[in-house]
Amino acid sequence: MLFLSRLVGRPVRDRDGDIFGKVRDLIVALGEQYPPVTGLVVRVAGGRDIFLPWTDVEEIEASGARLRTTRIDIATFRQRPNEIRLWLDLLDKQIVDVEDRKIVRVNDIQLAPVEGRLRLVAVDVGLAGILRRLGLAGPGERLARVLRLEAENYIEWADVDPVESSVSSLKLRVPHQALSTLHPADVAHIVEQLAPRDRTGILAALDDERAADVLEELAADDQVDILEALPPEKAADILEEMGPDEAADLVADLSEARQEQLLNLMEPEEASDVRELLAYGEETAGGLMTTDFITITPDETAEQVIERLRELHPDADQVYYLYVTDAQGLLVGTITLRGLIVASPDTPVHDCMRPDPISVRIDLDAEQVGAAIARYNLLALPVVDDDGRMQGIVTVDDAFERALGEGWRKRLPEIYEPAEER
Amino acid sequence: MTRRLALPRPIRRAQRTLRERLPNFRVHRTGLLAFLGVMGPGLIAGLAGTDAGGIATYSVLGAETGLSLLWVMPVTTVMLAIALEMSARMGAVSGQGLGDLIRDDFGVRWTLVAMLVLIVANAATLVAEFAGVAAALEIFGPSRFITVPLVAAAIWALVVFGSYRVVERVFLSVAVVFLAYIVGAFVVEPNWGEVGRALVTPHLPSEPSQLLLMIAVVGTTVTPYMFFYLQASVAEKGLGAEELPLERADALVGALWTNVIAVFIVIVTAVTLFGSGISITTAGDAALALRPVAGGLAEAMFAFGLFGASVLAATVIPLTTSYAVCESFGWESGVSRKVREAPVFMGLYSALILIGALVVLIPGMPLIGVIVASQNLNGILLPIILIFMLRLVNNPRIMGRHTNPLWLNLLAWGLTGLVILLTLVLFGSTAAAWLGWV
Repeated sequence: MLFLSRLVGRPVRDRDGDIFGKVRDLIVALGEQYPPVTGLVVRVAGGRDIFLPWTDVEEIEASGARLRTTRIDIATFRQRPNEIRLWLDLLDKQIVDVEDRKIVRVNDIQLAPVEGRLRLVAVDVGLAGILRRLGLAGPGERLARVLRLEAENYIEWADVDPVESSVSSLKLRVPHQALSTLHPADVAHIVEQLAPRDRTGILAALDDERAADVLEELAADDQVDILEALPPEKAADILEEMGPDEAADLVADLSEARQEQLLNLMEPEEASDVRELLAYGEETAGGLMTTDFITITPDETAEQVIERLRELHPDADQVYYLYVTDAQGLLVGTITLRGLIVASPDTPVHDCMRPDPISVRIDLDAEQVGAAIARYNLLALPVVDDDGRMQGIVTVDDAFERALGEGWRKRLPEIYEPAEER
Repeated sequence: MTRRLALPRPIRRAQRTLRERLPNFRVHRTGLLAFLGVMGPGLIAGLAGTDAGGIATYSVLGAETGLSLLWVMPVTTVMLAIALEMSARMGAVSGQGLGDLIRDDFGVRWTLVAMLVLIVANAATLVAEFAGVAAALEIFGPSRFITVPLVAAAIWALVVFGSYRVVERVFLSVAVVFLAYIVGAFVVEPNWGEVGRALVTPHLPSEPSQLLLMIAVVGTTVTPYMFFYLQASVAEKGLGAEELPLERADALVGALWTNVIAVFIVIVTAVTLFGSGISITTAGDAALALRPVAGGLAEAMFAFGLFGASVLAATVIPLTTSYAVCESFGWESGVSRKVREAPVFMGLYSALILIGALVVLIPGMPLIGVIVASQNLNGILLPIILIFMLRLVNNPRIMGRHTNPLWLNLLAWGLTGLVILLTLVLFGSTAAAWLGWV
């Protein structure tokens, strides 16, 4: 087990034992679980740094390095795209501790032979690393014991994800692999702790679906900031992956120029859904509703509907209520997923649906929409136009958000409000 | 593969609403950056210039040296403008706070040096703020042995249990009182020609006490904590390099604004107190300068403003310091954390307030003297932080093409050198006097 801080500054000797220079830095190639050391940066007389491939190194330990050769091929160091310099690029930088979902700093770097090669195995983020670098390892650790502080704290490299603006050499090459294994809510939790620029970086690195999931977990003002900062194509792609109502709420908060730009970049179909929703007053059923819902016809059998659902492969949130419309598009009934499953396969929908569905008009006041959902214990409420044609659904969360939001605000003294609205 | 999570979206979103709305549930972003989110850079500069240290130092300068050292003001204005602009630029280009950059670039040892400097300078400033609280309230009668512990406890508790933003808003508005000095300057009718000449005519200090005062003026105008504060605030706003002209203008306006108030404080105190034989030893003496404007209300008004400015700075400084230290070392930070979760943060935050309050309570401690001395310490430590900043702002690895242009470097290094020179001359002359050479 080697610490980078112990290694740097130690002498590098050639095969004959003559001192050739000092260890300046180590180079590792990222990509593997434990990145192998691929090179050594040596500071030679005259303050020049030269690069040696790892094959030239016979042995390395806390007391220094010994080379295989006496003849040094002084190659100018060329960093390959997947390589980083540990001292320069990683030490002292901020990283995401994926396991604990925290932002921490690299105080030292731990190396160990794994599968026959010296590899980067862990980063030291504890007090012990700081003390070691200050040359206070002994007394400092005793003090820490007295104070009952946990001095040792290592994070395995697999659980590390870099923070871009800090580890700037990794910019644009950060795959955020470790992060993409996390639950979107956890990623959102990490994103909230980061500076604005790094938030954008992480969202940009995730694939569109995942980015949409993470974005939906964030607070509204953070969502807006991120969408304003992302490259427009990426922002449009993420919006397409979100529910139309959520996307519309979000787009409504963007600057007008940005709204137009993003809507034009989105797929026409998704964009027109969002545009349509944007047109309704925010405090009406139309402003609350989403256009993601499934309609079926009264003549289909339960079996046929279930078969169609298999083909449609709808999102979880669309599948609980299905809406029955006639040939004119008029809403004539609703059926729950349960109703569909417990019905015998040949039953036509109009025999097992619930007729005379509760619905609201598209211009109904938002408060009354919420009241209707609450009164009838609904997960979602259909919205119809003046002629009774199905236009969308309002889901319980939107009503809930509104109701809770109101109550919350009323409890605060007025002076608090502007500060909270940042 | 299912695209969405197992739960239907309505339920997930309802849960998100809960997380957002319920206090203590959603872990808000903590850290210096978030804590500064709302403040405008211009306001910050204004605030830092008109705290207890500033008001006392400028008043003493005017009362003891009249207009003869007024020329220092334009120089400190330039220094402040340069330093603030560099901070704002670093925040915008790197997206990181100053403490973060120092750690990223200089490693553990230098970070320790920078942070020790910051802690010492800010502890000294905090002493000044509590001295300001004591001095302001002594005008109304109550002893500092009652007021200072109460105010210290209130600040600690307000920030830990309440919202520092409420405090900030209330006391920031109180600082408006100091606009009275601008009105005052026109009421006392100084010889404006003389004022103009004094502003541009360098006049070397004739004795060590004046030199000391000069360093205090530099230290109180260009204060290390401002840079940490400003840079973090720019980074937090997520302003990029494309908005640099705006940030630059903001920094310049902030620097100018602070110093305009400072110049008027010096003018008013110079006209009313210099040569009158009154030397400022209490806040009551300093308040006399506002007599021509406020009449019998002068003392109450001065006390009101001094109290507000002191409490505001006393709230901000320990937080700024603790955040900067903990973030640069990667320790947990945040005021709402339990002591066990963020031991260093809570410990440092509490210790700073405790030290600030205790020093003021040392029996016989002259309040105005303590304030000016703390600003001296700030002035002496300032070059260290400036050198860190200059090294960072000229590092192309961090700043890309936004490093300092040559003229700015010459000016900035020149002024930094000047402050170092002042300090050396001060130490030299003090040592010489002590050894009996002079």
